Amino acid sequence: MKYLLIVAIVLAGSLVASPNEYGYDRDEYKDSRGYYDNDRGSSVDRDDYKYSRNYKRGVAPVTDRLYARECGSCHFAYQPGLLPERSWVKLMKNLDNHFDTDATLEIEDNRKILKYLIDNSAEKFINYKRSRKINDSISKDETPIAVSDTRYFIKEHRGIANRLIIQKDVNSLSNCMACHKTADRGSYSERDINIPNYGKWDDD
Amino acid sequence: MKILIALFFLFTLSQAVVLNSQMQGYMKALEKQAKIENPSFESFDYKRGENLFISEHIGKKGKLISCVSCHTDNLSKKGMNKRTNKVIEPLSPLANVERFTNVKDVKKWLRRNFKDVYQREGTAQEKGDVVTYIINKK
Repeated sequence: MKYLLIVAIVLAGSLVASPNEYGYDRDEYKDSRGYYDNDRGSSVDRDDYKYSRNYKRGVAPVTDRLYARECGSCHFAYQPGLLPERSWVKLMKNLDNHFDTDATLEIEDNRKILKYLIDNSAEKFINYKRSRKINDSISKDETPIAVSDTRYFIKEHRGIANRLIIQKDVNSLSNCMACHKTADRGSYSERDINIPNYGKWDDD
Repeated sequence: MKILIALFFLFTLSQAVVLNSQMQGYMKALEKQAKIENPSFESFDYKRGENLFISEHIGKKGKLISCVSCHTDNLSKKGMNKRTNKVIEPLSPLANVERFTNVKDVKKWLRRNFKDVYQREGTAQEKGDVVTYIINKK
């Protein structure tokens, strides 16, 4: 009995103490409220802890076949958790001029896809690290329709030389898969970055 | 024997893609519409379709663009979306059996791509011409 008790205590302790539970890494974004703590192993903000039980890295992967097929035929199928609801609403309203391209859909398909995007937008998945950080980095009066226009995204990509972005194999920052080799699985972790003609990325 | 070989060659040369019934219906509807819009219209034309496909126009970004920009001039090979680097499966039904089998998809791409290259929708005649070119180009 005593032995069991010790095991239980150790287990409970490891659950609370492990910093990895919170998906911490070096590229933490800190907002004006200091919501996220950048120092490894430091104590966790109380509010933050509330989310920790279900805290996940990355963003929730794409699950909708219609979305993957329709949107993924021209570009990387960005996970719905990369933008808040209002962004998806605005974007889906303006498909006739979608980043200078006509991407119009039949009304019925547009409606179905928009519903999927709304149901899975960033605010609904703040237990996912990237969804939460992107969402927290957008001020209430902004409605970005490109993930690459959000403050968190800009901060995360600012150290990259322009020549690496505009090179043929990459083309633009919207081409996630060019460098984030596991982006299609919703993982944007640093260890899975491999920039063409540069190699592994290291923030240090 | 020589005749047989000659026949075999003729057969392989003339081998064309046969559209399924929904696509045939769509082409018939385009034909009907083309006749209404243009009284001198006779039938869809490969050459006119080719010209639509390869000619360059000022696109939305102010740069010259044509269908070839993304689909390349070899329709049996993969193309690439110039903006996003996304690979485009071959357009020719000879290389990609999925192509020109679903009217909804065909309508969608004709609408979008005419808008991107020509900054307007294609006429019924133009749509029929360009489809005729694509499905017959070897």
